[in-house]
Amino acid sequence: MRTRIRPIIGAAAALAIAAGLAGCATPAAEDDGVVVITVMGMPAATNTAALELFQQQVAEFEKANPDIRVVGSDVPWDAKTFAARLAGGSAPTLLRVPLTEPPSLIERGQVADIADEASALESFDELNPRIMEFLERDDAVYGLPEKSYAFGLVYNRDLFEQAGLDPDAPPTTWDEVREYAKQISDTTGKTGFGEISTNNSGGWHLTGYTYSRGGAIIEPGSDGRYVAAFDDAPTRDALEWWKEARWTDDSLGDDVLGKQEDMVAAFAAGNVGMWVSAPPDLYAQFLVAGGDPDIYGAGAMPQDGADATLAGATVLMVNAKAGDAEREAAVKWMEYRALRPNYDPEVAAQYAEVSAEDGLPVGVPALPIFTEERYQMIQDAIAEWVNVPVEQFDPYVASLDTFDYVPEPLVASQEIYAALDPVVQAVLTDPDADIEALLADAEARVNTILEQAQG
Amino acid sequence: MTSAPVRLPAPVLQAGEAPVTPAPATPRGRRAPGMRRRASIAGLVFLLPALLCFGWFAWWPIGQSVVLAFQQTNLVEPAEWVGWRNFEQLFADPLLPTAVLNTLWFTVLSLLIGLPLPLFVAVLMSELRRGGTLARVLAYLPVVIPPVVSVLLWKVFFAPGENGVVNAALGLVGLGPFPWLQSPELAMPSLVIVATWSGAGTAILIYLAALAGVSTELYEAAELDGASVWRRIWHVTLPQLRGVILVLLLLQVIGALQVFTEPYVMTDGGPANATVTVLLMIYRYAFLFGNYGVATALSVLLAIALVIVSAVYLRLTRSWSTS
Repeated sequence: MRTRIRPIIGAAAALAIAAGLAGCATPAAEDDGVVVITVMGMPAATNTAALELFQQQVAEFEKANPDIRVVGSDVPWDAKTFAARLAGGSAPTLLRVPLTEPPSLIERGQVADIADEASALESFDELNPRIMEFLERDDAVYGLPEKSYAFGLVYNRDLFEQAGLDPDAPPTTWDEVREYAKQISDTTGKTGFGEISTNNSGGWHLTGYTYSRGGAIIEPGSDGRYVAAFDDAPTRDALEWWKEARWTDDSLGDDVLGKQEDMVAAFAAGNVGMWVSAPPDLYAQFLVAGGDPDIYGAGAMPQDGADATLAGATVLMVNAKAGDAEREAAVKWMEYRALRPNYDPEVAAQYAEVSAEDGLPVGVPALPIFTEERYQMIQDAIAEWVNVPVEQFDPYVASLDTFDYVPEPLVASQEIYAALDPVVQAVLTDPDADIEALLADAEARVNTILEQAQG
Repeated sequence: MTSAPVRLPAPVLQAGEAPVTPAPATPRGRRAPGMRRRASIAGLVFLLPALLCFGWFAWWPIGQSVVLAFQQTNLVEPAEWVGWRNFEQLFADPLLPTAVLNTLWFTVLSLLIGLPLPLFVAVLMSELRRGGTLARVLAYLPVVIPPVVSVLLWKVFFAPGENGVVNAALGLVGLGPFPWLQSPELAMPSLVIVATWSGAGTAILIYLAALAGVSTELYEAAELDGASVWRRIWHVTLPQLRGVILVLLLLQVIGALQVFTEPYVMTDGGPANATVTVLLMIYRYAFLFGNYGVATALSVLLAIALVIVSAVYLRLTRSWSTS
C-alpha cells in the first residue's frame, strides 16, 4: 500500500510545484515577441459606454501596433498597495496617479525616466510647461499629464441666493469669503465655509491657502537643499483666518475633521455654502453623490496679497521595473489614450459623444494640458455634446489666466501634509490653540522630514 | 474550597517558546527505543504540513521583518543595510512619545471600561431565568458586524452638534451637545466606547461559558449560609472565574496596545494627534511615506514590548490563576 501511494504523492507534489511556478511567471513578454503592458485607467464595468470606448480603443491600438498587447486595469491608484504590488511584480506597467504622488515616486526611484520616448511624440512640445515642470527633473521626464486642475472656490448657488448673495459674483478675497460664510451660516443655519483636515487634506489645504497669501511651504536654501518656510506671515494669517471663522464667527460648522469624500457628500446634500477644492475634478464626484448641477458654482481661489493658486493634475507614469520594450509601448499608449483626445479634435468629438450618451459630464472647463489654442480647438469640436452648465464655471475659468500655478512641495509632500494636519486640526478644534507654538513645532518637524528625505 | 474547577489550558505559550513536554504517562522502558523513534518520526511527518504553513506564512515573514528593520528599501532595487539608522530616525520622531502615551491611555481606558462591563453583563445574564438565548444573541450581535462598518456607524452616531445621534439622545436628559471626535480630550474616550461596544460580546460569551462551569453546590452552600446576591458574586463567582478573567485581561491588554481600526477609520489620529497610536504610526511610515525600514523597526519594538508585557504578566499571575 505504502509503496504504491508514495509515487502518486511524489507526482502530485511535482505537479503542484510546477503549476505554482507557472502561476508565478509574469506575462511580461510573450514568446512571439509581443509586448504585454498592463495599464491603469480602464473605466469600471458599471460605466458601460466609457468601457466600450476603452475596449474599442484597445482593439484599434493593437491593430495599429500588432506587437503590443494592452491589458486594462480598473483598479484605481492606491498608495497603500502600490509598493507591495511593485515588490511582488504585479504593479501595472502604466500608473495613473494624482500629481501629489510623483515627487515621492521619483525620489524613491519607483518610476521610469521616459524622456527618450516622450520627446519623440508629435504633441510633446505643445504640452503645457506649467504642468510639465512637475514631471521633469533636469533632463529626465517621468510622466505625461492626462488632465489638470487648479484650486478654486466651490460654492452652492442656491445657498448664496437664500443668504441674499449674488450667485454670479462669488467672493475673491479671504476677507470676503469670511463675510459671506458668516452671512450664509447666520441666515441659513448651514455651514458657511466647509473645511477638511484629515488624511493629509488639512496640510494640502493649508498649502493652497498659504500660496494664495504669497507664502511657501518649503524653499531651497543656499545649498540647494529644501527647508521649511511656513513659519511666516502667510501661513500664520491662514491659521488666524480659520481661528476667527471657527470660533468668532462660528461659520465653519461642527464637523471639521472630515476628508474630501465627506465634504463632497455634505456639499452635494446642500449643507455647505463654500469650500476650496479643484472645481473641474470635483464636478463628476458631485454628480455621483447626487448633487444638483444647478447649484454648482465655481469661483476663483480666494486671495490675499498674491495671485497664485495650487495646481494639480492626473498624470501617467511608467513602473520602474518595466523593460525597454514595455516602456516604449506604455508611452505609445499614453499618447493614444490620454494625449490624443486633448490634441486631435476628431478623437475628442468621439469621446464626447460616448460620454454624453452615458450621462457623463462633457465640457467641464479645465486647465489645458496643451496650449491655449489647442484647448480652444478641442472645445469647439465637442461643443455639440456639452452637457455641463459651463457658465457656472465662468468666475473660475476667468481666474485661470491671471493666477500663477504653484506646485505642491517637491520633496516629501505627503509627509509634510501629514505633519501639517495636526496644526490645522488644533486650530479648528481648540479655541485656545497657540498658533505661534504650533507653527514652530511643525516647522522643526518638517525640517527633520526634509533632512531625512534629502539624505 | 482551594482548587478552582475553572482551569486554564495554562501556561499560555509565547511565540517561539517550546511547549513543555508532558510527563510520560507510562513508566519508562515499556516501549522499545526503536519504536519510540519511529513514533516520533511519524509525528513529525504529521506535523510537517502545519510546520511548513507556519514557517512559510508566519515565521519566515517575521524573521524577514526583523532583517528589514535594519535595511532601507524602495522595493525596486536590492535593500541596503543601514544598521541602526531606522531606529535612530524613529527615536528622532517627536510623534513617537505622543503615540506611545496615546496607546497606553487607550489601553488604560479600555481596561477601566472594557474589563468590568462584560463581566457585569455576563453575571446578570447568567441570573436570567428566561430569555437567556435572546440576550446572548443580542450581546454577541455587535461582534458579527464587520469592524469597519460598526466603526463607521459610530462615526455617524458621534456627529457633533445637536443633530448627532448620541448628542440627541443625551439631549433628552439635558446633557451636551458634546464635540466627541472633534475634541482632543473626548476623542480617545469615544474610541474606547466604540471598541468596548464591538468587543464586549466575545468576552460576555466566554464569561458565560465559565459561569456555567461553576458548581451550583457552591451557590447552594452560600445560600444556606445566608449570603446575599452580592456576597455570592464576590465570594463564589469571581474567585471561580479568576483564571478566565486573568486570560481575558491579558488578551485585552495585547489587543488594546495594537489598536488601529478605530483611530484609522474615525479620526485618522486627530484632532491634533490626540488619537495617533503606535500602529497608526507604523501604517503611516509604511504605506503613506513608503519608509518600510522605519515601519518595520517600530513593529519589531512593539512586538518585543508585547512579549515582555505578556511574560511579566504571566509570571506575576501564575500563582493567582492556579491557586
